[in-house]
Amino acid sequence: MIRFLLKGILRDRSRSLLPIIVVSLGVMITVFLQAYMDGVLGDSIEWTAQFTTGHVKVMTRAYQENMSQTPNDYALTDVDILQPQLEKDYPGLSWAPRIQFGGLLDVPDENGLTRAQGNVKGMGLELLNSSEEIERMHLNDYLSSGDFPKQAGEVLLSRELFNQMGLTLGDEVTLISSGMWGDMAMYNFKVCGTLQFGINSLDRGFMIADIEDLRLALNMENSASEILGFLKEGYYINKEAQNLSGSFNQKQTKTQDKFSLLMLPLSDMNGMQFFVAYAQQMQYLIVLVFVMAMSLVLWNAGLLGGLRRYGEFGLRLAIGENKHELYRSLMGEAVMIGLLGSIIGVAFGLLFSWLMQKYGLDIGDMLKDSTIMMPTVMRARITSTTYYIGFLPGILSTLIGAMLSGIGIYKRQTASLFKELEN
Amino acid sequence: MKLFKTALKSLLGNGLKTWLTVFVLSVSFVLIIFMQGLLEGWSRQAVIDAVAWEIAGGQYWSEAYDPYDPFSLDSCARDIPDQLMPAAESGLLEAVLISQGTIYPQGRMQGVILKGIDPEQQIVKLPTRLLAGEGPEIPVIIGAHMAKQAHLKENDLVTLRWRDANGTFEAADLRIAGIFVTTVPTIDNGQIWLALDKLQSMMLRENQASILIASPDYEAQQLEGWLFKDVEELSSNTIAMVKAKSMGMAIFYLIFLLLALLAIFDTQTLAIFRRQREIGTLVALGMTRKQVQWLFTLEGSLNALLAIALGCLYGIPLFIYLSTNGLSFPIDVSEFGLPVSDVMYPYYSLKLIVGTIVFILLSTALVSYLPARQIARMNPTEAIRGKMH
Amino acid sequence: MKQYITSLFILPLSLSILAEDYPPGKTILDRVDQNMNARTRIVQSTMEIQGNRGSRTLEVKTWSEGDNKAFSEYLAPAREKGSKMLKLDNQLWIYSPSTDRIIQISGHMLRQSVMGSDLSYEDMMDDAALLERYQAEVTGEEEIRGRPCWILELTAIVPEVNYYKQVLSIDRERYVPLKADYYSKSGKLLKRISFDKVEQIQGRWYPKTMLYKDMLKEGNGTLMNIVSLELDVNIPATVFNKASLK
Repeated sequence: MIRFLLKGILRDRSRSLLPIIVVSLGVMITVFLQAYMDGVLGDSIEWTAQFTTGHVKVMTRAYQENMSQTPNDYALTDVDILQPQLEKDYPGLSWAPRIQFGGLLDVPDENGLTRAQGNVKGMGLELLNSSEEIERMHLNDYLSSGDFPKQAGEVLLSRELFNQMGLTLGDEVTLISSGMWGDMAMYNFKVCGTLQFGINSLDRGFMIADIEDLRLALNMENSASEILGFLKEGYYINKEAQNLSGSFNQKQTKTQDKFSLLMLPLSDMNGMQFFVAYAQQMQYLIVLVFVMAMSLVLWNAGLLGGLRRYGEFGLRLAIGENKHELYRSLMGEAVMIGLLGSIIGVAFGLLFSWLMQKYGLDIGDMLKDSTIMMPTVMRARITSTTYYIGFLPGILSTLIGAMLSGIGIYKRQTASLFKELEN
Repeated sequence: MKLFKTALKSLLGNGLKTWLTVFVLSVSFVLIIFMQGLLEGWSRQAVIDAVAWEIAGGQYWSEAYDPYDPFSLDSCARDIPDQLMPAAESGLLEAVLISQGTIYPQGRMQGVILKGIDPEQQIVKLPTRLLAGEGPEIPVIIGAHMAKQAHLKENDLVTLRWRDANGTFEAADLRIAGIFVTTVPTIDNGQIWLALDKLQSMMLRENQASILIASPDYEAQQLEGWLFKDVEELSSNTIAMVKAKSMGMAIFYLIFLLLALLAIFDTQTLAIFRRQREIGTLVALGMTRKQVQWLFTLEGSLNALLAIALGCLYGIPLFIYLSTNGLSFPIDVSEFGLPVSDVMYPYYSLKLIVGTIVFILLSTALVSYLPARQIARMNPTEAIRGKMH
Repeated sequence: MKQYITSLFILPLSLSILAEDYPPGKTILDRVDQNMNARTRIVQSTMEIQGNRGSRTLEVKTWSEGDNKAFSEYLAPAREKGSKMLKLDNQLWIYSPSTDRIIQISGHMLRQSVMGSDLSYEDMMDDAALLERYQAEVTGEEEIRGRPCWILELTAIVPEVNYYKQVLSIDRERYVPLKADYYSKSGKLLKRISFDKVEQIQGRWYPKTMLYKDMLKEGNGTLMNIVSLELDVNIPATVFNKASLK
């Protein structure tokens, strides 16, 4: 029976081609849209993760309580033990120690006396030994002149600060800040490049240097403000992050101690809870609306496909097939068309999603004048959902379409159906 | 007109099929307007909120004031210029003095920005009335985000230390007289609001201000040492932020529209295939093929008209409901860095509605026309017999 | 880094106005002055700073002349060794050997804590000349660790002072302060210095420890301990020069 139907579909192009094309297109769009929505909403989350929160963040309790002030006197110590331990306990994540700090940047004149001073906020991350962090934060996209630090003591400054202080690449600047022990910290950096983020508060005074430099500068040997964990999947999975944090925090015994460790998932930081929930719900809502609409279109197509074949039905009834059988074979055909169309659609949908995931759509130009910090490249993201989301509207809608159009078989007399054969 | 009637008749004659197509198209029509309206509403609301809470009718900034430079805060206050005094006294301008201090919530130190404003002011939405009143503690108001940052609740006491204009250390207890919830982060984060005269006397900066907020009725004038920033300038950041967010949305409903157009294209193609005999007959009856082509294009385009009519049918009540009652988000967004309010009111401009209608009509006409081109290549006699190439 | 000690020592030396039952405030201050004032000082001291991570001890040597000139050099720990500070009137420079830079501390930076202690740079800028701006009055007596003291209240008579009111407890016999409280105009206690281990040095009474506490902040404060003190030694003028920072 299946073979018979399949043959019919494949041989009678007029019966199969157009519906399959329509189904494929619809499914492709659904698949692509799902991946795109997931990607775009996910990117905003990833952006926050990369810059500030990680997918999870390990810090001390006291640091967490005063997070808005980046209190390095509550920084994590013994990072050389802590980080390997985390790597061992949670192989599903990669861990990145960071130092957050604030201070004063001082530019000397030719006599070494202060020529200009400005406030800075900054971040120390692993820049010298691996390019992992540079890639993770897409820092390449923000580099506006010069290059990343190639050796110890080099620093990247935000462009506006750099201009305001009248600097040129290669100039020396001194960071004045307070160290982990409350001591005064002074450290010289050589400016090796500038960054432009497009967000006012950062562009006005931001610096990025290698974490080892900052450990030296801030007397934070073997320490870090925080250790960020990134899921190896490459994107935030709320449930996983929640579970990880829950199990980690359960293992901490001295929870009263202000230096005891705490792991927080991204959704519990920086008000991201809203965004994570929003992204999840929005995505389901949008896909749902879309699937409904898609079903309507395909139903329409199925209807047309069915209507065209009243003549054939008449003939088949005339030669002795009964109506139920005819209806069933029609359904079977619809399922097959739906399946075929869905397979093709999903394949193409995945292909486009993959392209969109790999290359993305750069809206940077459209946002040229804006001052916001957000990902300027819109990307899709293929998840497990992407693989099956298209089949639902693909098969269901063709089936419903065929069912509706097939009702005509029952409504009409065999004779009149047969008459339509003349068409 | 006759062509139009024929087209409409034949379209409606298709019954359910037509209505399905029309429905999908109407959904995309409604959706485009809804999404755009929502973003527009968000953008407007963000600006409206910024205007209501912070910008009002624009602001004079003391030349030395730079919100991003904490260095400037202590030295940017200037005497309110004489030219502005009448406006300031009549409530057309509200002076705000900005300074710095340190609070000690639970014995920890935290730097804060102090903003003094007249408790009687009517220009911005801040609940400044709470700032009035004498007592052993200075009544202050803070934003919800700041309250969370500093772990402060209403009626909590917290010690503030500051240095006055002479550099003398001063300290006093503050009482959190109120916590306001706002979508405008720039008046919330790290800031404490108190009565202007109080702050002026605390800082020994009588009659001084860092900025002056103007009422919308105020006519700005050029002044030495003071820069007037209008609403547009002050809200440009907010607008840009929302604009960027809407960029990602556009793709979504364009794809949706594509889907609807696909339905029309598909219907048209099949219709022309199924109705060859009709086409043949029409040509035989004396219509030119071009006319028939137009007839079919018109028939397809009528989908859009019907869709718009249908869309209006359920869209208008929906839009009216949404723009009066808003669309609420059940989650607390106070900490979120974006100017998002918990209830969003979509805004539908005439430009948006007319633009969407024209856009949908044109694109529907296009997809209707494309399959209809085939008609031109038909041989009427063969078409009449239902045979196509 | 230590010139603030200087200032603090000199704080109580100023003019005053008569009180009723007690000796005039000015008299008390004059006696304190006689006891403690010196043309120059060379002080070596340690400073114990209580941080969130436990305590640290710094070692500093300070040369000072009069009220306005002070030069200090850090001796320990290794990380601070070689750091120098110079105060001339109301200007403050810091030199750090690791950066080989001389940086003037101004504006915003003055508010920061000195090496994590309960003192800010601003406190160090507390100039003795300001003392001429207080009115002194003895308001009572008290006993501190068994020593009878006069309670001396200083109230600012000019606006440009760091603290509007200071309340000093002065040992009645030795004319050395045992406690100093610093108040805001609104009467809030901001800082407290407790002096202890009073010993005789070159015929004068000096407290060898001082506990400096920011009363608004949690914690135990910063403890200063004088290791050695030389008075009225000749200090070459070149010491109080920016060139000596490097």
